[in-house]
Amino acid sequence: MDESELIRAAQKGDQRAFEQLVRLYDQNVLRLAMNLLRSPEDAKDVYQEAFLRVYKNLHTFRFDCSFHTWLYRIVTNLCLDALRKRKVRREESTVMETGEGALDRMDTLQESRADGNPQRQLLSRQLRERIQSSLEELTPRERTVFSLRHYQGLRLRTIGEMLGTSEEAAKNCLFRATQKMRVALGDFV
Amino acid sequence: MTCDDAKKSMPLFLYGEMSFDEEERLETHIGECRTCADALARDRAMFAALDAAEALPGAELLADCRADLHRNLAGVEPERRSGGFWDRIREGFTVHFHFAPGVGQPLGAMAMLLIGFFAARMLPESLLGSFHGAGVAEASVISRVRDVQPGPSGHVQIVVDETRQRVLTGSLEDQNIQNMLLTAAKDPSDAGVRVESMDLLKNRSQSAQIRQALLYAVQHDTNAGVRLKALDGLKDFADDPETRQALTQVLLKDSNPGVRTQVIDLLIPHHNSDLVGVLQEVISKENNDYIRMRCQKALHEMNASAESY
Repeated sequence: MDESELIRAAQKGDQRAFEQLVRLYDQNVLRLAMNLLRSPEDAKDVYQEAFLRVYKNLHTFRFDCSFHTWLYRIVTNLCLDALRKRKVRREESTVMETGEGALDRMDTLQESRADGNPQRQLLSRQLRERIQSSLEELTPRERTVFSLRHYQGLRLRTIGEMLGTSEEAAKNCLFRATQKMRVALGDFV
Repeated sequence: MTCDDAKKSMPLFLYGEMSFDEEERLETHIGECRTCADALARDRAMFAALDAAEALPGAELLADCRADLHRNLAGVEPERRSGGFWDRIREGFTVHFHFAPGVGQPLGAMAMLLIGFFAARMLPESLLGSFHGAGVAEASVISRVRDVQPGPSGHVQIVVDETRQRVLTGSLEDQNIQNMLLTAAKDPSDAGVRVESMDLLKNRSQSAQIRQALLYAVQHDTNAGVRLKALDGLKDFADDPETRQALTQVLLKDSNPGVRTQVIDLLIPHHNSDLVGVLQEVISKENNDYIRMRCQKALHEMNASAESY
């Protein structure tokens, strides 16, 4: 079944079709949530909430935009909410206390680029920490636009559509985000 | 273009978000301005660093998310998209169970439900006799509205799936347990249950009934994990003509290279003249280098040509 057939079957209550539909997009959804929230637990929560919302509300999807855009609108809104709440709670640290001492949750993530070389691993870790702190300096909206453009490779026009704003506003947001990143990472790169 | 304009547009340039003319103007400026060329190089380095620091979720996290979602979906009833009118009516109506004559399909479904209900009531005394004393625990009844149909005189018919959960325990040698596992091995709604059932059944392939189930799964199950388990169960029957015939079809038709590789592992040790034509056919259409190489090697050992004439 192609995507639109899966959507139609899922709209009629076919749970298997829905789960197949999920599998077309869920890796990218999780990646987006991870890059935005930088916390596996929060990313997992967003994943669940997003797909449950899609499941409950799929009957309202009328094919007047792409399913991808519709889904990402839900995901980015959930991520924005999570980022805003986090700003309020000031829970920016990824470090948590465990029975065996402090553990940075980001260390549990898959090391994507660094190989077994200890020096490269150290540099990679330092860079990650610097990027993490520079991302924290961004507003939730800047962070969202930046992640959607940089890590998801979405066009600014699509990002504007997802966030309910114009391409120009998304462009300005991206510009502010990269300016802040330049300042934060300037001496590192 | 000023240096300020150039620096502002560099990220858009790197993201490919500028028009052809804008890119031309920026590239011309950079060709003439050393400071901006350096700034662009720094931006490129920053982008590369950001790429390298992407927070990729591990496979385990994805698997956890999928498993949690699967569990959570079971407790959620989605709104179903249908005729619209009846959707609205359904929300406002008090529902009466009133079965009008001549409404075939829903009535049939209700009849099946009733049969299922009474069968479930009678199972401990009949089919499940041997489970007595082996631990039969009752759990809650799960209901799900399967269909809603308008009936005459303003009545509504609702078809409800009702599932009564039970925990059954018993020996793998028990015929009733085996029957349950054979049924579960064909459950189209849950590949996980099929994999687990197949895993238990595969060591009992001496039974003709179980072997038939393995042969069916290896050829027809949509999940590669189930097919691999079934293949594992058939390894002792790789020289049995019926099994070889099924395996040959799997080798020629299965979409999963892992499954095809395992079939080759089963077929090749029993050098059989009827395998030559099959291996030649595989070589002519196989995309996977490893499988082609295995076939070529096997043909070489059988002193046969890799090409068909």
